[in-house]
Amino acid sequence: MAKVSRRAFLNKMLVATEPTHTSGRTLVCVFLRGGADTLNMLVPYGDADYYKVRPTIAISPPRKTRTASVIAINDFYGLHPNLSPLLNIFGEGRLAFVQGVGSDNSSGSHFDAQDQFERGESYRKSIGGGWLGRYLQSKVDHTVSPLSAVSIGTSVSESLHGAPAASALTSVDEACLKVADGELAHVAQALSDMYGAEVGLLANAGKDALQLNARVEKLKKNMHSSTKNVEYPDTEFGKGLRQLSQLIKAEVGLEVATIDYGGWDTHFFQGAAEGIQATNMLELAKGLASFDEDLGSHRGKVTTIVVTEFGRRTYENGSQGTDHGRGFALFAMGAGITGGRVHGQWPGVNHQNQDLLGPSGLPIAFDYRSVLGEVLRGCLQAQHLDKVFPQFQLASVGLVSAKQCPQIL
Amino acid sequence: MTVSRRELLQAAGLLVASMPLSGCEKIVSLATEQMGENIPVHLKIPEKSSIDEHFHLLSRAAYGPWPGDLDYLQEVGKDAWLHEQLNYEQVRDDACQMRSKRFETIHLDPGTCFEFKRSVLARELASYSIVRAVYSKRQLYEVMVGFWSDHLNISIDKGDCLYFKPTDDRLVIRPHALGNFRDLIHASVLSPAMLIYLDGKENKKPRPDSIPNENAARELLELHTLGVRGGYTQRDVYETARCLTGWTIQTGWQRGKETFDRTLHDNGEKLVLGHRIPAGLFEQDLDHLLDIVCFHPSTAQHIATKLAHKFVSDEPPAKLVQRLSGIFTRTRGDIKEMLLALFSSNEFADSSGGKLKRPFHFVISSLRMTGADTYAHEQLIEYISRMGQGPFTYPTPDGYPDKPEPWLGTMLWRWNFASALVSNGIPSVEISLDRLIASIHGQSTIGESSNVDSIKSRSIFSYFTGRSPNDHELKALTKFLTSERKTSANAEIVGLILASPAFQRC
Repeated sequence: MAKVSRRAFLNKMLVATEPTHTSGRTLVCVFLRGGADTLNMLVPYGDADYYKVRPTIAISPPRKTRTASVIAINDFYGLHPNLSPLLNIFGEGRLAFVQGVGSDNSSGSHFDAQDQFERGESYRKSIGGGWLGRYLQSKVDHTVSPLSAVSIGTSVSESLHGAPAASALTSVDEACLKVADGELAHVAQALSDMYGAEVGLLANAGKDALQLNARVEKLKKNMHSSTKNVEYPDTEFGKGLRQLSQLIKAEVGLEVATIDYGGWDTHFFQGAAEGIQATNMLELAKGLASFDEDLGSHRGKVTTIVVTEFGRRTYENGSQGTDHGRGFALFAMGAGITGGRVHGQWPGVNHQNQDLLGPSGLPIAFDYRSVLGEVLRGCLQAQHLDKVFPQFQLASVGLVSAKQCPQIL
Repeated sequence: MTVSRRELLQAAGLLVASMPLSGCEKIVSLATEQMGENIPVHLKIPEKSSIDEHFHLLSRAAYGPWPGDLDYLQEVGKDAWLHEQLNYEQVRDDACQMRSKRFETIHLDPGTCFEFKRSVLARELASYSIVRAVYSKRQLYEVMVGFWSDHLNISIDKGDCLYFKPTDDRLVIRPHALGNFRDLIHASVLSPAMLIYLDGKENKKPRPDSIPNENAARELLELHTLGVRGGYTQRDVYETARCLTGWTIQTGWQRGKETFDRTLHDNGEKLVLGHRIPAGLFEQDLDHLLDIVCFHPSTAQHIATKLAHKFVSDEPPAKLVQRLSGIFTRTRGDIKEMLLALFSSNEFADSSGGKLKRPFHFVISSLRMTGADTYAHEQLIEYISRMGQGPFTYPTPDGYPDKPEPWLGTMLWRWNFASALVSNGIPSVEISLDRLIASIHGQSTIGESSNVDSIKSRSIFSYFTGRSPNDHELKALTKFLTSERKTSANAEIVGLILASPAFQRC
């Protein structure tokens, strides 16, 4: 008796929320919080100056006999040895780097720079909402559900603010209303009545939560049957990627997803081939490689980018770490990416803190919005980039080739 | 009184499958009840359609009213209540002390903390904070402890910070939470927990060509004092970092105590925000630096804005900020004076119901208003963590955000908490709703209250939200009550109210 009314209720909720049309494509944004030192990830081993400004933390040039050295990917750049799980993907032409990505934010503040990045703005010019939120908003004929946009974690990321619907999840299984047996339909109905009469932020939050509950109930069986035996790192980051892979394979209409990986603010004792940052890198690379493997036949529809708020100073500080800098190397993997190469010119390292108005570091060759815009257009077929990045002229990066992006529908 | 309480506990013990409070905890609970930690027989219920002004004050300057707090505030009046809360040392808090005494690692120095397991230290710190927030009669003080713990955030997950955070809570945050801003910042800069968290202990100049570690200096300017738009430059960050070189923590004897190592200090002349600090001052650089940064006009503006944001509106009224900033400047950072002006302002009075409770606030106010008996075990902490606000675990130095958007993804988990709480389904948390409901309805005996009709649900709603329900809310409540149910109506109706939009706001 109770079961019938529960199912009836859930079905009622679903009628309104089932997406009627999606491109079938997904963009996953990995945010390395803290300002990742990409100079020790994508290492310019061909520049002797790199070794001069980093006397204790540089990664040794490629050597056949030693493992704790750079793995060359061309005659100038190499990957940190702990990024080796990504080598095959790079070799297959599905992973690319863009050197010198950044913004005009000279504050040196993590939070200011992260916010600006996620909002997709110019320095201290507020537009409203996040870049992914505006993207979803700009798709006029698109029906969204709370599973169209997902942040892994306990809060919806800044970049998804302003989205018509979005969810924060640590695991899909737990996203359900837990009330006494037989009470679910009553409680959900009462909550729906209460939140339905709201205006403002809480109205959407309540509606999203109810719809999420309804959809997840239906999904659970589906998802478990699609679980593959791929080993992810046993960490929050690894678990989060596994959740995303499951959502993608269950074809719930996941269009954009964000996942954070913290701990990159390496002011002190960051290590070189081994150490704090190296440990992070191994988890990152293993996670991404597992994700790629797990996606299997869905690979052709999924693009993953890895970003951070800023790179770090090219030279090391007095405590064997690096302070906040500017440009960084962005990683892009999967559908549509012109991979197997490093986009952008190597600008050379500077030896001193030359620009005292803002932190120095690698100069910005590509405004981050040019890269994000190209990914949105090439991989998600975004039509209205002017609404995502108003008053910004995108420059061509060459990261995404329209030809390589398969037509799904 | 005691007998009926015991009967209730026994009854609850039989009904609840989950782990109840331990015997020892029950004895403490009985004692604290004798000390006034109970539910009065009669409770005054707000009757107006807009939020009661006293309820509003208790929702912001406290973590919501404990049963009877609203009656007390109405009796003594707003001014007297504020005076009492600001002069918190004079407020008797024996019952809360008795409950929170159980968490012994809070009172230990870092060296001794190293002898405990990480999990024990983390749990006790969180439990202690929750128990104090729920039970302390010095509510404004506890709210400000929370405010400064965010402002001077330290994550216990970074390095050894966990071993030092209890000391930071005891010697930095709590002594100065309602004190002077410069004293607070001075204590924080030298707090071993902060010296570790922001790498200050590694900021040194052993050789002439050494480059300072800028981390602590940057956050001091950006987060703790001037604010990110406070007008400092990269050079100011660099010069501030130079001032702070040499401050580190002791190893070996008096392990973990802050100390100044002259040999690691950059003793040259510095220029910070246009002020010259002459060469050769060693550790006195710090005093000069703090005078410059704490009393910079941007700092007054930054702190005034943050307080107005926290207590008044997500869009702080400019005139109020200006007044608070003026008080900060005039009193050289007197926190009490600013709060007194803030809570007495028209802007505050006009702001009721406009803020979203963050998860911690939501959980603590639920526990307070239901008169819960808890020692905040792991399972309760876990609920708060799942909503995204686990105590002292925010990873980055900016502290938990005080705007609504990041918390809107937590609704399902708030609802599930409400549902678990009212059904006594959270291990180590016990509530007696029948007693509360009887007091709300002004009945001296507990008995026939399990049938809640729509008139009664009205006053329960008013008790929890400070105003009578509007037409929509009343309709939803009535509809809910007339639908088929199995479980107790009291629990159901309170659960729904705690999950409702009105209770998410403050």
